[in-house]
Amino acid sequence: MTEATQLGDGRAGALPDDLDVELTHVSLVRRSRAERGYDLKRSIFSLMRGDSQRVTEREVICDVSLRLRRGEKLGLIGPNGSGKSTILKLICGILRPTKGNIAVNRSIVALIELGAGFDLELSVMDNIIMYGVLLGYDRQAMIDKSEAIIDFAELDDYRDAPVKTLSSGMAARLGFAIATDVEPEILLLDEVLAVGDEHFRRKCKARLDGYWGKDHTVVVVSHDLTFVREQCHSAICLHEGRIVFQGSAAETVDFYLWAVRESERLTKLGIAH
Amino acid sequence: MSTIALRRYPPWKVPLRRYLDLLKILVVRNLKVRYRGSTLGVYWSLLNPVLMTLVYTGVLSSIFARYYNGVVVNYMLAVFCGMVVINFFSTSTTTALPSIVGNGILLNKIALPMSVFPLSAIVASIFQLAVGAFPILVLMTLIFSKNPLNVLFLFGPMLGLILFSIGVAFFVSMAYVYFRDVPYLYELVIFVMWVTSPVFYPLASMPRHLQLILRWNPLTSIIESLRQIVLSGAMPDLRLIAQSLLAGGVVAFVGWALFRQYRDDFMDLL
Repeated sequence: MTEATQLGDGRAGALPDDLDVELTHVSLVRRSRAERGYDLKRSIFSLMRGDSQRVTEREVICDVSLRLRRGEKLGLIGPNGSGKSTILKLICGILRPTKGNIAVNRSIVALIELGAGFDLELSVMDNIIMYGVLLGYDRQAMIDKSEAIIDFAELDDYRDAPVKTLSSGMAARLGFAIATDVEPEILLLDEVLAVGDEHFRRKCKARLDGYWGKDHTVVVVSHDLTFVREQCHSAICLHEGRIVFQGSAAETVDFYLWAVRESERLTKLGIAH
Repeated sequence: MSTIALRRYPPWKVPLRRYLDLLKILVVRNLKVRYRGSTLGVYWSLLNPVLMTLVYTGVLSSIFARYYNGVVVNYMLAVFCGMVVINFFSTSTTTALPSIVGNGILLNKIALPMSVFPLSAIVASIFQLAVGAFPILVLMTLIFSKNPLNVLFLFGPMLGLILFSIGVAFFVSMAYVYFRDVPYLYELVIFVMWVTSPVFYPLASMPRHLQLILRWNPLTSIIESLRQIVLSGAMPDLRLIAQSLLAGGVVAFVGWALFRQYRDDFMDLL
């Protein structure tokens, strides 16, 4: 057994070696405020008038449990806003669960909306080193790797240019190149294949194929159902923060497609929920 | 391959080495962005207090020089001490203020400890101080006191200043997450801090009852202590040093405690 990183209330013990990620009864409540709640002046006035602050609480993830075996490729599918990306953010520790426990065994990198998070004023080279350190690589390692990263992203002409001069596709290429250069043992992908031109997409797929080997555990959030069906072992379908179906990739995709057709049919009949 | 460094840490439980790595990279970014395209580089930060000192000396020395035995240069050096303090405080805390909201996108992509962002703004300012104004203060101390020991005591009020700024930085960067009109309000706060601390006037020139009120500003004891060590030529006044350290320590502790208490809520508002 290796020491697992514990998130949440920490009730669970260490994970067995063949398990990489375990979520047990995870719920997440997020709070949001009406726009005026962001304004101190108006908050004070409304407090003096006796209006209460409008804080709305919403349970975005409800009682989700899942286990990822080492080497498993899991697809997360479901409509927009069903909590797919939120689950990735919970697994990699960006968000902290309100209830339940999350345990992670090995090194992890999440690729969520590539390219966002660069410092637009700094040069491509500086951003490679900075982004890498933020992701958890050490500085010297990033300096050593920067050439290979520039090379893969095909941005050799731009190495000293500020990132704001790159096109959004180029920035996404850079993000992908940085985050996948050192192979993380667990990789979380959020719609990353939808970026870049056709040439770069092929290159990304080729690199990701390397992760499809035995030992890498991968979670993919995707609307590309063909990709999920062909590349993943298993899949989970989410709806409003709950797991509504869990099974092999093919079964889950079929269920999701059936559910979409069914809800369209009901809408046409005027008896939708 | 250094996959060791890649080990995933929840942002609220980061080992010191990773925290320092992050701090270093963010401080470098902070300084690079501040000085991009300027030939003077880090010495820009010295230019501001120097010019302000000259302006104040030109305008106000006729009023206040009598508190310094009528010597204009002494008044000028006293203003410079005050200016170094207020300048550090206002630059470091105003850069820290938007640091969490401004990195909201990043915090939504990568698991990072929140506190490293306001702290990096402070450390960047410490770096500026260390290469800019601090050597000048050391030189002045040596000239006036002829006692290297006094130089050592300089770290007292400076540490008080840093602690005070850290506490305020935690507080304002947190407040900005909740209330997006804080920057306007904070400009006013900075102005109040500026005029209620003895930057361009000696505390002794104020009426007694006003002095008692001004003493509540933590910057007052920090400036007073700094002036006493740098300019008086006497042995450092330990009571003043203790006051600045105490005020700074209390503010740092309160700021950190509040930040720690509320940081889990931040993600929902970013």
